[in-house]
Amino acid sequence: MGVAVGEARDGRQTPAPSAARRSAADPVKGLLHRHRELCERAVDPLEIAAGLEAHGVTDRTAARFRHRDVFSLAEEMYARAPRDRDTHAPASPEEPPAPRPGGPRTAGIVLALLPGVLCAAAVAGLRLTDGRPRLIAAAVGILAVTLALGAALRRGPLSAATRTTSTWTCWLVGYALLGDGLLRTAVGGGPDGLPNGTTDGPWPVSLAPVLALALSFVPAAGCAHLFAAGARRKLTSSRGLADFSASVRPLLLGTFALYTGALAGLLALTGAVLGEPAALAQGLSLGALLLLARLLTVHGHAHAPTLVLAAAATAEAVALATLFAGRLPGCGFLAAPVEALVTACGPAGVPTVACGIGALTLLVHACRRLTRASAHASTGRTR
Amino acid sequence: MDNRPSRHLPVRIRSSRCEPPGQRRLPKREIGGARVRIGLLTEGGYPYLSGEAGLWCDRLVRGLEQHEFDLYALSRSEREEAEGWVPLPPQVGRVRTAPLWETVDDGIVHGRRARRRFAECYGELATALCTAGPGGASGGPEGEPAGQSALEADRFASALYGLAELARDEGGLPTALRSETAVRALERACRAPGAHRAAREARVPDLLTVTARLERALRPLSLDWYEDDDLGSVDLCHATSGGTAALPGLLARHFCDVPLLVTEYGVRLRTHYLTEPDSSPAIRSLLAAFHGRLATETYRRAAVITPGNTHARRWQERCGADRAKLRTVHPGMDAAPFAEAGESPDCADPQTLVWVGRVEPAKDLVSLLHAFAEIRRAEPGARLRIVGAPTGPEGAAYLGHCKALAAQLFPDEADGPHAVGRNPVSFEETGGPELPSRADAYASGALVVLSSVVEGFPAGLVEAMFCGRATVSTDVGAVVEAIGGTGLVVPPRNPRALAEACVALLRDPERRNRLGAAARARALELFTVEQNIAAFHSIYLEILSRTPARRVVLDDTGEPLPFGVPAEAHVPGRWSDPTARVAARGGPGTARSGPGWATEAEPVRATTSVAASEGAAR
Repeated sequence: MGVAVGEARDGRQTPAPSAARRSAADPVKGLLHRHRELCERAVDPLEIAAGLEAHGVTDRTAARFRHRDVFSLAEEMYARAPRDRDTHAPASPEEPPAPRPGGPRTAGIVLALLPGVLCAAAVAGLRLTDGRPRLIAAAVGILAVTLALGAALRRGPLSAATRTTSTWTCWLVGYALLGDGLLRTAVGGGPDGLPNGTTDGPWPVSLAPVLALALSFVPAAGCAHLFAAGARRKLTSSRGLADFSASVRPLLLGTFALYTGALAGLLALTGAVLGEPAALAQGLSLGALLLLARLLTVHGHAHAPTLVLAAAATAEAVALATLFAGRLPGCGFLAAPVEALVTACGPAGVPTVACGIGALTLLVHACRRLTRASAHASTGRTR
Repeated sequence: MDNRPSRHLPVRIRSSRCEPPGQRRLPKREIGGARVRIGLLTEGGYPYLSGEAGLWCDRLVRGLEQHEFDLYALSRSEREEAEGWVPLPPQVGRVRTAPLWETVDDGIVHGRRARRRFAECYGELATALCTAGPGGASGGPEGEPAGQSALEADRFASALYGLAELARDEGGLPTALRSETAVRALERACRAPGAHRAAREARVPDLLTVTARLERALRPLSLDWYEDDDLGSVDLCHATSGGTAALPGLLARHFCDVPLLVTEYGVRLRTHYLTEPDSSPAIRSLLAAFHGRLATETYRRAAVITPGNTHARRWQERCGADRAKLRTVHPGMDAAPFAEAGESPDCADPQTLVWVGRVEPAKDLVSLLHAFAEIRRAEPGARLRIVGAPTGPEGAAYLGHCKALAAQLFPDEADGPHAVGRNPVSFEETGGPELPSRADAYASGALVVLSSVVEGFPAGLVEAMFCGRATVSTDVGAVVEAIGGTGLVVPPRNPRALAEACVALLRDPERRNRLGAAARARALELFTVEQNIAAFHSIYLEILSRTPARRVVLDDTGEPLPFGVPAEAHVPGRWSDPTARVAARGGPGTARSGPGWATEAEPVRATTSVAASEGAAR
């Protein structure tokens, strides 16, 4: 055994003179040059030690550089490495865009278009048919739009990581479809029949705002994408958290304004095409509410949107309920506030007030929550 | 002042539980350590099929069937969890798992008081990470003053346990760790005077990344494992790796005073340095500081640390591990497949050299081929068999390169004018009819060569030793540690030295046999599965012998056993002559009368554990 150890030592010492010849005065210098990149980017000596070991440097190699072990060799290299203060600027390259769940871009656009197109088809079906086929068209249309909406929300920039309930959203959209007509006829003592899908029946249906909302899914997805991408860009460019918040707030408000503008245009367009009055106020407030709720949910704040959506839906339901409760003997006072509101602003006043207050609340909330950096942290899962 | 009792939440993070039916045994301990209940802590490891250290843990659990094992496994990815578990032997009592990959949300939002408490603790943690000076994770022996580094380590530890207590009392820690409060606290710590240079340059994305990574690393804090019927009920925790896997052990030690044994075959901190090459300096610096501080705290609290080789041991010492706690336990390998080859050393072709391994550039086959060219000059009859499959596309390209080089260096040779020529260098793979297994590959040669420039623990070399073959290897990694004096060692990247050593052994069959026999004896003594299991067995018992009783002792019917713990166990400090062994009945009570060096080593620990035992008894 002793013999073998002796041989091993003999074998090791063969290259020592050559190494000494190459850089006799400063043996570490050559090593430093060879591992220049490692030394420049190391944050502490242990990182250099780990890197050196990965390149096959052992304690016995370190002995050739007149060091006790790799750690002390690494410490010398760390101390001697030229560390340029400005290297960090190019060292932080542009963050690659966070991989969004979803396939190619076109698929996302098609999916986003789907609810609007299907809704338009359903509206056309309602307009062009009559009787039983109209009922079938309505049912098929509602089903198709709901499915398309679910599919579109599952991917793309409006997809949320957490599970959300859609009950309140459905109620709010349903009210936009049927609520105004019901309210108007209820004030006048009706309704005298079920909705038949027309604007002049016993229970008039307002298709224009719903169609506009469905069509506005594309601008909503675009705005959400703009906001997320802009926030990511701001993340890399801002120096601190306060800086980031200050720069994201205008982005959020701008995105919101962009969507509102697009929705207003769509509302006017659908109103003109369908020959209905453009329900600008209630459509805008509902769209704003839904967009803000979705944005908050997407960025991980699902609690407040749920509350506000529930509150708005409840307010609308209560308004209808009081109107009907007022017909009971001795309860006329219950209907007074809603009737006053309807006489003042028309039947659109109720959803406008309910959704408008909700949207304002969420806007204030979003200005506080969505401007935080933690709302834009990527939540990646390891597969 | 807050006098409210703390609210214990039943389940904080989804954690599955599996108890084989009818196999739940009452903990039953006898003097002499007949049965020990061991909490095996793994991260991305044992019970999962694709686990890294699975084989080793499986052998350990199966080898120590007189003991009882509870598995506490952290899974690293969804895929791993989907692939399922290995079949578990009956001595595994329960398995609890928790995912490290999922975004967890327990829906608890902290109140104002809890928020303040969290901000304080997290701020402390962030400060401890940011002020790590250069080299700082370690607080090396000749680095910063020892007092300073101890202070920083204490600060980290108190912040860590503060967060753990918060999670235990209030829950909701995962949400809080991802919240803006955490990011702000981290930013404040990074911008504070005295922060590390790399940390000062942290930008917003860096802060977010570090927060997310810390949240993931600190997820064990939110688990509901630290109750008296979970990790509180085991006799000792055995963490199968450092880092996150050791964190439950640290908390079990903190909350329930369970001793901790840490086994590291690869040091987590070093792995972190090697796997984070592309992150920004701030991320690397902060996470390295976290892993370094966590390692320091783990080594400080562990009762015994078992590195797998000298290399890991050096890193652990560097990270502040006390030398008195370190016991090197070499990885165990199955010697049975190599027994036949090892016991018949004469079947080898005396002129054949064998190289066995995975073909990749780090193995430096080019240097081996050049060395073989020199060997052929001295010994024209020599042959070289290169046995192994390439790993990845890089390995395949390297193999092609090596084949081309071999064809260039050694033209095919024929015995006569009418025979088909053969190349003295052959590239083969195991699994065919000619070479069914690696043992056959080793057995076919008289000399096994290893030419790597980078190597961890050389498993192939140990296999060659099992086969009783003389070896010539390069001096890299843990080669010298494994080979001892039973083979020749030459410097890496030196074909001439390699050739000289090989020629010397080829010409001297007697010495070759002597070295081979010595290598086999050494491997059988140091690197078998049996020695590995025996080492852990004795370490378990050693730790138990120094651990005071912590629980009410139950009799066979499950009732508390009166006087199960002698009254003296509750007396703080040393109550008997350190050299005397009190032969008291009643099992665990005798533990306090362990050897004197144990009580001397940790006088403080004895009192704290008594306090904890009283707490548990109440």
